[in-house]
Amino acid sequence: MSTIIIDGMAFAMPLFIIAVGGIYSERSGVTNLALEGFLGAGGFFGALFVACTSSLFAASSQLPMYLSLLVAMVGGGLYALLHAVLCIKFKANQVISGVVVNIIAMALTDFLTSQINTSVFGASSDRFVLSVSSRFTVPVLSSIPVLGGFFTNVYPFEVIILLVALAAYYLLYKTTFGMRLRACGDNPSAVDAAGGDVAGIRYIAVMLSGALSGLGGMCFAYSIFANYSSSIYVGYGYLAIAAMIFGNWKILPTFWACVLFGFARSGGYRLVQVLGMPSTYSDLIMILPYLLTLLLLVFFSKNNRSPRALGEIYDKGKR
Amino acid sequence: MKKNSMKKAFLAVMGSEKRQNITIPLLEVLLGLIAGTIIFLILGKNPIEAFAAFLQGCGLFPKENYAGGRGMFTDFLSYLDNWTPMIFAALAVAVAFKAGLFNIGVSGQMLLSGFIATITVGYSPLPAVVAKPLVILIGVVVGALLGGLIGYLKHRFNINEVVSAIMINYILQYLLSFFILSFYTNPITRQSNVVSDASRLTLQDVMIGDYKTVIPLGFLLALVAVAVMHYFINFTKFGYELKAVGFNGRASRYAGINVRRTIMKAMMTSGALAGLAGVTYYLGYLGSIQPRVLADLGYDSIAVSLLGNANPIGIVFSSFLITVISKGSTYMSSAVSVDQEIGSVITGLMLLFAACGAFVRYKLHMARVSVEEEAREAGKAGKGGDEK
Repeated sequence: MSTIIIDGMAFAMPLFIIAVGGIYSERSGVTNLALEGFLGAGGFFGALFVACTSSLFAASSQLPMYLSLLVAMVGGGLYALLHAVLCIKFKANQVISGVVVNIIAMALTDFLTSQINTSVFGASSDRFVLSVSSRFTVPVLSSIPVLGGFFTNVYPFEVIILLVALAAYYLLYKTTFGMRLRACGDNPSAVDAAGGDVAGIRYIAVMLSGALSGLGGMCFAYSIFANYSSSIYVGYGYLAIAAMIFGNWKILPTFWACVLFGFARSGGYRLVQVLGMPSTYSDLIMILPYLLTLLLLVFFSKNNRSPRALGEIYDKGKR
Repeated sequence: MKKNSMKKAFLAVMGSEKRQNITIPLLEVLLGLIAGTIIFLILGKNPIEAFAAFLQGCGLFPKENYAGGRGMFTDFLSYLDNWTPMIFAALAVAVAFKAGLFNIGVSGQMLLSGFIATITVGYSPLPAVVAKPLVILIGVVVGALLGGLIGYLKHRFNINEVVSAIMINYILQYLLSFFILSFYTNPITRQSNVVSDASRLTLQDVMIGDYKTVIPLGFLLALVAVAVMHYFINFTKFGYELKAVGFNGRASRYAGINVRRTIMKAMMTSGALAGLAGVTYYLGYLGSIQPRVLADLGYDSIAVSLLGNANPIGIVFSSFLITVISKGSTYMSSAVSVDQEIGSVITGLMLLFAACGAFVRYKLHMARVSVEEEAREAGKAGKGGDEK
């Protein structure tokens, strides 16, 4: 039982922060299918940082990991600028832009990873190897039956994500900026009339979205793959979008959706182990999160209320 | 004043609204190639050599030497073999696109139709006369059903078609890899067993003159599909409704168009074309299925469709180009020793410029309006001067 909780949370938390990134972008009125590309690009910058600085730190040092999370956020935010410029400045169709941004992220990071490995590090490899993240166990709490799993073998990044998510929650719901951001998604003209800068707010929202996704991507790279390669593109960005849709574009319900995904996945793997099925069956387990997404979408999409101005290009001249 | 003459020059180059349909994609391609040239220069490679290698890999430009029994013609037919599914896939994206839908599930639809055709007909002892049409039929039906499912989820449950298609892609990828690895795998190649020659849509090892070549039968079908889709989109009620829904769903509902049925029709047509791409790819070009992998071609077809303005005739040209880049990148990689992923980078950059196409069109329109206005003003001023 505790393995299910440990692995489930390690998967759910990065997914959650990526979904929060999606919420930021979409609540500001910019459709964001580019989360997959953001998380990959952010992870790429973070991993590149680790690869470049690995000689500066002691092998067991955990400092590069924390720094790489920061670099991934900055990198993801900068990469997200591409989506923002396409959608806001160039008035591109936001769905197309999202898909294009994803495709470019995959092509570019894949190419750059092997190219940098050959020309800078002199090794022909398609991945950046990361150190193994340490884990910690909270002494007393971890001995609580069942729930103790939440405090056992926790990745440090799970705590960081929790803190960042709290900050994101505060910013979105308790500040003037957050209120304006949400208003941009529902009624941009009103924001404009009140003296707000719709385009500016949307730029910031999309970049924050990229930063949060980058953080999530780097955490995925550490927890699931322990290295960075193109295998990071397995559709978790789209899972995050689905989680956001169940969560009705609100942060707290989205969190529960992510936890559900995490437990479905880790529970499935555990089941294969317990029943002693051959490894080919793990392919069937891999289906679970996607299948669950599709089923939940069928049940929940109908009653959902997406931001009213979502996907609309805001044109000041149009009234 | 100088800015205005620049505007005029740009307008003159880009031509009238009608000619823009050709000049804007050309501009996008050109920008993509320039970006590619810059990348090659940064890597310290000769860009001309590199681009020539792309063409050489596709049999469009002679290589220095060939292995016995092979020639430029061999490479070219093998290129045609690869081009065929790309045309179908891009048409699939284009049809959905006309209706304002984004079929990103092409690779999943390809995989499922390819898989079902493989295990039913590909492994059967049926003679070629029965097997080949049956393969095509299965491709169409399976693809249409899967495309229809996405359309159904869209209009019945309001699920974004991109999200549902991606989920279905992943589900199929893992589900089918489970079946392939459990039942149909070839222990040596680690792929599914090769399909029978009778069911294969590409004739293998045909001797033409001294050269051993392949004959992609699907290519003719692809050209037919281009003509048919061109007719359907531009000259039928179906095509009109498709475009109306894509342009403005609410307005077309008021105009009495059944939007739901149009969405279903669009997605089923799109799926059927993707299914054809699947059978010509898995039972033509490759002959087997690699487990756990979705065809890149399904994603490249998005680029092709955008570059070709979602126009069937335009797609012939854009698919030609993108296939040169994707297929030629293997040979290019060995000839000038650059990672072959650069092919997808160049494609991606063209896509990026293609995404800005609407903006360029908008800017050109504004420029034209302002130039016309100025001309009118100048005319007025001239007249006013005469009177005085």
